[in-house]
Amino acid sequence: MKLNRAFMRGRVLPLFVWISGLLVLWEAVSWWLLSIAKTPLAQSKLPYVHEVASALWKYSVTLLREGGATFGNAGVGFLIGALSGVLLAVLMSLSRTIEQLAFPYAVASQMIPILGLAPIIYGIVRDEQVSRILISGYITFFPVALNMLRGLRSVDLSALELMHSYAAKPWAVYWKLRFPAALPGLFSGLKIAAPLAVTGAILVELMGAQHGIGVLMLRNLYYGPSHTYMFWSTVLVGALLGMASYGLMSLVERLVAPWQPEFRPQGGSR
Amino acid sequence: MASNSVRDIPFITSAGTEADAAPNPASNNRISSEPGRQKNPRRPLQLLNPGILLPLLAGVIFLVLWEVQVFHRLFDLKKYQLPLPSAIAEAMRDNLSLLLSYTGYTLAEAVLGMLIGSGCGFLIALAATAWPRWGGGSLSMVAALNAVPIVALAPIMNLWFGDGIGSRAAIVTATTMAAMAINAYKGMAAVDPLALDLMHSYAAGKPAVFRHLRIQNSLPYVFTALKINTTASMIGAIVGEFFFSSRGLGYLLSNSIKVAKMPLGWSCIVLAAIAGVIFYLVVERLERVFIKWHPSRRA
Amino acid sequence: MSLIATEIPEIQLDHVEMRYRTDTADVLALHQVSLDIAKGEFVSLLGPSGCGKTTLLRLMADLITPTAGRIRVAGKSAREARLAQKYGIVFQSPVLYDWRKVRHNITLPLELLGVKKSVREDKALELLDLVGLQGFADKYPWQLSGGMQQRVAIARALSMEPEILLMDEPFSALDEFTRERLNEELLAVWSKVQSTIVFVTHSIPESIFLSDRVFVLSPHPGRLSAVVDIPLPRPRTAEMRNAPEFFELIARIRGSFEGV
Repeated sequence: MKLNRAFMRGRVLPLFVWISGLLVLWEAVSWWLLSIAKTPLAQSKLPYVHEVASALWKYSVTLLREGGATFGNAGVGFLIGALSGVLLAVLMSLSRTIEQLAFPYAVASQMIPILGLAPIIYGIVRDEQVSRILISGYITFFPVALNMLRGLRSVDLSALELMHSYAAKPWAVYWKLRFPAALPGLFSGLKIAAPLAVTGAILVELMGAQHGIGVLMLRNLYYGPSHTYMFWSTVLVGALLGMASYGLMSLVERLVAPWQPEFRPQGGSR
Repeated sequence: MASNSVRDIPFITSAGTEADAAPNPASNNRISSEPGRQKNPRRPLQLLNPGILLPLLAGVIFLVLWEVQVFHRLFDLKKYQLPLPSAIAEAMRDNLSLLLSYTGYTLAEAVLGMLIGSGCGFLIALAATAWPRWGGGSLSMVAALNAVPIVALAPIMNLWFGDGIGSRAAIVTATTMAAMAINAYKGMAAVDPLALDLMHSYAAGKPAVFRHLRIQNSLPYVFTALKINTTASMIGAIVGEFFFSSRGLGYLLSNSIKVAKMPLGWSCIVLAAIAGVIFYLVVERLERVFIKWHPSRRA
Repeated sequence: MSLIATEIPEIQLDHVEMRYRTDTADVLALHQVSLDIAKGEFVSLLGPSGCGKTTLLRLMADLITPTAGRIRVAGKSAREARLAQKYGIVFQSPVLYDWRKVRHNITLPLELLGVKKSVREDKALELLDLVGLQGFADKYPWQLSGGMQQRVAIARALSMEPEILLMDEPFSALDEFTRERLNEELLAVWSKVQSTIVFVTHSIPESIFLSDRVFVLSPHPGRLSAVVDIPLPRPRTAEMRNAPEFFELIARIRGSFEGV
């Protein structure tokens, strides 16, 4: 309990102040643009916070439905990509040949603007559902594979020797040592990939789709200044989806691998 | 029993890092397998090293299979959906000057945005370290910004900065700030407490501690962030160009797809990939120049 | 083999040599080591850094294979002995798995052996009792002090009732007071389990206090330079550390180094 209160005071209060401060600043700048500077398209550039909030509220059902569609598609692709990423990492850790084959490409893929492939994949598949899932999966695949591999490799030599001295079978070494030890790496990969998967899904929607928050975003953008509040609402929902995906992964991490140093009480190691 | 004992040796030998020592008879100890990293790159028959040969071979086979339309038959694709490598190469040759100038344009956006974004991120990290309680909040805010899909930023930045280079630079700035802020903060915070005590014993003030200790300590982290940001900035610039631009690789890419000029679209990707890799390698080189003292360099 | 079991030394090294080849150097880590260790004996491998004492232990554990010579454990090769799961090992660091509670760290070897869960749980509690950690079964490793973690590691090594316990400087990271207390506890535990123990250390008093015999090793190249019998009676008590015989033994062993 005491810890909780300290946490509230130490972390949550400053954050709360920050958020409210930014919102107030936003509202003030919006007012300034509109009434003092008389900038053209002032409300499109930075609309009143309260107007956006009311649009969020008014269209919450639509926004939730479309946001859900985006999140769901991103989620399916994310799961497929994550599973294949884990699989590739395990294969790479098992076989030198596979590692030599795949590792350079996995690393290179991290240097290449993968999202640029989105229009191409969309061009090949021509199906919003499939291409959304493909892009999200593809974006997820490499960070997860690389981080998982790093995790599998991070195992302490002594811990392996311990298993060796017990004459543990290879599968036991994986199941009881390498996998648990790789969980932190896996989750750092998942946390990188989750918002990217959402981004990928929205990107495909912007290029032409029937459902999803990106479609709504594009439509309201084209409707012009009269729909600016709705447009900003969709942007906010998109942002929230990205943050939610990250938050969800952090939550799952806490549940699945709660023993990590950063989750320990007393402020961690240092 | 014998087969079992043979099989579990590799688990010990592969315990080290990604050292690519060739298998040798005495490889079941740590001492002999570690320096193997050093010797291989100097060999004259470097290309015969399986670490280079295998992926190269796989890449060539992949391209050949693609060229002879194996994938097309496999996934029932038409040539206008998935152009052949030869067609892509041809498109690249025909439009080389345009492609190169657009690559330069996109790269300029990426570099400019990354410099601004990384600079802002570093300042945020400084603030968060100097005033942990209130500065820490700003760190959380940037971290949240990191989760915001870039595509959602594109229309807004377009409204704010028009459709010139500024709007993409702004997108890139927004997407590169977080990685730098978080990593640099980690580096500044991960200072050896004893080193801090030492600075205290010299009665060093806050600025001196930053100058001599924290910033130095954060350099490896800063370069990690820069390397992450090279890719992120290229993505940001290209995706930003998809929608509101009249120049750049991203613009040409999405436009070519729209008018079904697939080979040209693909050649944009190829150039973007090459530019991305070069950008990355440049940053990596800078890292080598700047932090010679770091343990990871000694290996 | 027609010999009677009791006549076979538990561990037998015959002209064992260990050489590490690297690009730049050819290091002879161990030169012609021959020794016998009897069943149920407590021996120490003592020497300064670089004398190859840890290498010797790792050879016995079949973590590495000698470049020459022969190692027999209970009449078999070291590899067969390892695969028959005769070994318990304790390293310098506890090497506990962060994601397992103390009790599940202790039962890890039993899990690998396929022992039933109820039996495992009982064994864990019994061992925690033995090493004096009652009530810590459901803690995570990081909630324990260094000394306690090392006791968990010992309990884990004992869980499969190993015939041979190999200990590689298990207490060297602990402070002097904790180390002496754990030395006494280790002897108490040993008197109950009666395994053969090979104990690597660089502390002369520790080796004397614990062992029946001390194998003294010297460096460059690593080799066995002396074998010192420790005639102190058992059970050993903390007071023996102040006895004149104890100091004489320290002097003798120290002398065997100065001759090098």
